[in-house]
Amino acid sequence: MEIEELQAAWLQMSKDLNQQKKLTNDIILNMTQEKYQNKFRNVTTYETVGAFICFCIALLLIVKFGKLDTWYLKACGIFSLSYLIVLPILVLKALKEIKTLDISKNSYKANLSHYVKAKNRLLRLQQIGMGVGILGMFFIVPVFSKISSNKNIFEIGLKTEQVVLLALTILITIVFCVWAYKGYQRLTLSAEELLKDLV
Amino acid sequence: MSKETVFTDLIREHQALLYKVTSVYTDSKLDQEDLFQEVVYQLWKYFDSFRQDSKITTWMYRVAMNTAITHLKKKKRRPDVQPIAEVLIKQSDAKDEVYEERLRLLYKHLQHLNTLDKGLIFLVLEGKNYNEIAQITGLQASNVGTRISRIKKKLKTNMTNS
Repeated sequence: MEIEELQAAWLQMSKDLNQQKKLTNDIILNMTQEKYQNKFRNVTTYETVGAFICFCIALLLIVKFGKLDTWYLKACGIFSLSYLIVLPILVLKALKEIKTLDISKNSYKANLSHYVKAKNRLLRLQQIGMGVGILGMFFIVPVFSKISSNKNIFEIGLKTEQVVLLALTILITIVFCVWAYKGYQRLTLSAEELLKDLV
Repeated sequence: MSKETVFTDLIREHQALLYKVTSVYTDSKLDQEDLFQEVVYQLWKYFDSFRQDSKITTWMYRVAMNTAITHLKKKKRRPDVQPIAEVLIKQSDAKDEVYEERLRLLYKHLQHLNTLDKGLIFLVLEGKNYNEIAQITGLQASNVGTRISRIKKKLKTNMTNS
């Protein structure tokens, strides 16, 4: 089939659509009232709630930081704090960047390039977040064990069932992360190809 | 005439244009309706910023296509989600099997193009010349020609192989 034949079908469709005037003034004005569910706003809401939870936990950790009485628990505490504060801020910043397109004035090329770059940044951050998250278990668990029940698990060790539970959690997290990472890789690769094409 | 009246008249007059842009960037009726609503909202939001230095339709194409870039597709939770080509065929009064098949094929191949190529080929289908396409997309007019012949080749190869 030739392109011209597809173009003819498009013309026919355009003619059909031009004859159908379904929208009324009320329907159009309703659409201008921001009643629709903007999915980006939903994503931002989820991320904001997530960040708020992280900040609350970080605050609790700061308040109870004095309970961390050895250098290695303090180091774990600082690492946990960084993870709980820095990553959510970076993710929210990346999301904000994605939304700052000038839809009215900027060209399609400029907006597409801005969007793909910002989205890639967000994807990479989420990838990093997942990787650090796995490592995070090794320093967050001792910190919270200490501040919640005053037990230094480096000294007393873990019970067999706790070790099994932790190993299982890590295994499931790793499987999930590998799966998600592959998805992210696919997305970022196609985005990079598009970016090259835009130059 | 109030701003609302001017705007609603404009949307009613050019609803086919918006329908077509939103159908190219989505693959189901549900998604298309969502994007359509989002585009109308964005047009209203930026309506005051429209300057008369370009045609109103050029501005509408730009806003609609720019909005489509960030549109997130809904996950298909229901198996009965209607593909967009079938929706368009149902809306057509003419019962022409050749036309229906061509439209199905066109939408099938459009879905496989990347966002930039999709936008360019859409404007070609709309009968825009290279200068108009350059004005909407921000590409150089000479570059537009090269890219479009490349996309046409790609489409032709895909159609031959499918």
